[in-house]
Amino acid sequence: MVVKVKNLVKRYGNLVALDHLSLSIEEGEIFGLLGPNSSGKTTAINCILSLLKYDKGEIEIFGKPMSPESYDIKRNIGIVMQNVAVYNELTVYENVNYFCGLYIQDSSTRKKLVDEAIEFVGLQDFTRFYPKKLSGGLLRRLNIACGIAHKPKLIILDEPTVAVDPQSRNRILEGIMELNRQGATVIYTSHYMEEVEQICSRIMILDAGRAIATGTKDELKSMISLGEKITVESYFVSQEQVEKLQRLPNVVSVEYKDHHLVIKSGRGFNNLEAVLDFIRRENIEFGKIYSELPTLNDVFLEITGKNLRD
Amino acid sequence: MFAQIFINRLKCLLRDRETVFWTVAFPLVLSVFFNLAFSNLDKSETFNPVNVAVVNDENYQNNIFFKAALNEVSKGDDRLFNLMEVTEEEAERLLSSNSIDGYITVGSSLKLIVGKSGINQNIIKSFIDNYLHTFSTVNNILVKNPAGSRALFENLSQRVSYTREVSPSSAAPNNVLNYFYTLIAMACFYGCFWGMREITDIQADLSSLAARINTAPVHKMKAFIYSLCASLLIHLVEMAILLSFLRFVLNVDFGSRTGYVILTVILGSIAGLSFGAFVSALVKKSEGFKIGIMIGATMIGSFLAGMMYQNMKYIVAKKVPLLSYLNPVNLLTDAFYCLYYYDTLKRYAINMGLLTIFIIVFWTGTYLVIRRRKYASI
Repeated sequence: MVVKVKNLVKRYGNLVALDHLSLSIEEGEIFGLLGPNSSGKTTAINCILSLLKYDKGEIEIFGKPMSPESYDIKRNIGIVMQNVAVYNELTVYENVNYFCGLYIQDSSTRKKLVDEAIEFVGLQDFTRFYPKKLSGGLLRRLNIACGIAHKPKLIILDEPTVAVDPQSRNRILEGIMELNRQGATVIYTSHYMEEVEQICSRIMILDAGRAIATGTKDELKSMISLGEKITVESYFVSQEQVEKLQRLPNVVSVEYKDHHLVIKSGRGFNNLEAVLDFIRRENIEFGKIYSELPTLNDVFLEITGKNLRD
Repeated sequence: MFAQIFINRLKCLLRDRETVFWTVAFPLVLSVFFNLAFSNLDKSETFNPVNVAVVNDENYQNNIFFKAALNEVSKGDDRLFNLMEVTEEEAERLLSSNSIDGYITVGSSLKLIVGKSGINQNIIKSFIDNYLHTFSTVNNILVKNPAGSRALFENLSQRVSYTREVSPSSAAPNNVLNYFYTLIAMACFYGCFWGMREITDIQADLSSLAARINTAPVHKMKAFIYSLCASLLIHLVEMAILLSFLRFVLNVDFGSRTGYVILTVILGSIAGLSFGAFVSALVKKSEGFKIGIMIGATMIGSFLAGMMYQNMKYIVAKKVPLLSYLNPVNLLTDAFYCLYYYDTLKRYAINMGLLTIFIIVFWTGTYLVIRRRKYASI
């Protein structure tokens, strides 16, 4: 077990930021902490890193209790903070070298690691640049390079793609998967469900400091009743037709709004064919029709009654 | 680890142009302005001989006592008058052109002609009054007691002062020095900006950077001390530049006790750094708010130490003496002046002792706040 958290409680006055949170992360996993803003993701990370005091609970990393003085544990952890944490007065190279130097004393080893990290995030052409001269995406990449240069066994990335352009985001996500392939265990927090779905092997969904579901993305999706969402673009659908649709086998709900007919069905049947038959029978004119499998947002919506990005 | 943190910290701090400006360039620029503004202040205090003419006629030549007295006070470097012996017409012309402050005619009585009233005219009049008073006294004694003439002339030649001025110093009082000393004290306390930055970069609840450092396998206090060494070194070099500039370019006199002057600057720099660290650690507000507090406190301290109005230092010392001892900027200023002016080190030692107490208080307060490794909130 790389990380084990048991019954973690963190309060800010009357506000319960973490409510008996428990999690365990195995070696080699990319573990995603997914939740809306203020759901407790960063608080959980800061507690795990022993930056924050907590009211109750136990935290173990690499099988040992974590504390601010656990330097042997910290030596094997790489941190990528939510806010970019680099020195504006140091160049890209100097920044990576500085942070790597907090972990690696030998200068020749460090130089090799720094060069590798810079190459890994694709900042070779910017080594003499100061952070203020970098774009948002490049700055995030520098932030990552500073966190991973010492080749840690556990990498914690707290919303590393916030305010990043799609190109840099893809590069960052590919990089994280590559680090994982190289043997690192990763904890990844985000409120972007697509990212978490894309890279995480196991996901914990947080809401208001509580873990509401944990599992692989398929396990999470199987927890809800929704099996398929069919959307039909049509100029007119009568209320009577909507009611008839609701009576079709396996249909969970039907909604017609802004010329979009959304039919949510349970799992297990060929739902699209049944809907198409109905449309033909009722002579409903339509532009497009498409079917989607449930997303993590649907999981979140069904469990909490609200959207991830509410 | 020390070298790794120390060297990178030096790079970081030296490239922080804003702080470098306030801690070294600003005091240098201010010292140049001070020099321009105050360079003539001492000159206005020095006495310039009064330009006076005497009508050089037969009466003057015959009045040998007055002529001798006038010539006596018109020679040497510390002379009272720049004397010109001229005709009455020439004297009138010189007076009209303001080349002289007045002229004297010798007749049955001494007569002073001036164009206007003023200090110089009063000086000439006082001289004449004094001469006439002495002449009259001597005349009376000689008439009433001719036998005592020898003793009289011996006494006249030996003017005795019945009070004695005791100076605590071999140095001359200097009105301008205090301005420069307050400037150095202010510059020492501008080290607070470095102190503030050190705290901001090590307290995880103040910056993301500090939070990041706190997750590294480095002892927090050690990392802080290593960084602080870089800040102190930079501040000391800045103060050395300022001190050298004042001493060798602007010729500001610090007296002969160079070692103590350097010791004072070192203690002052530590005090400034510790003040910034203390404020930054204690005040849980924005960086702008903290800077406001530090600049405000330093400027008020400098004002009370006499930076903008020299007499303020003495007003405070007289009216609220306790405030003089509670103002670290004043303690530093006074320490420099003690080194320049006083022969003994007693007052200097008191100032340094109190400053050391301030440093201990600042560092203790800072330590109590930053020793925490875990935070209630970030």
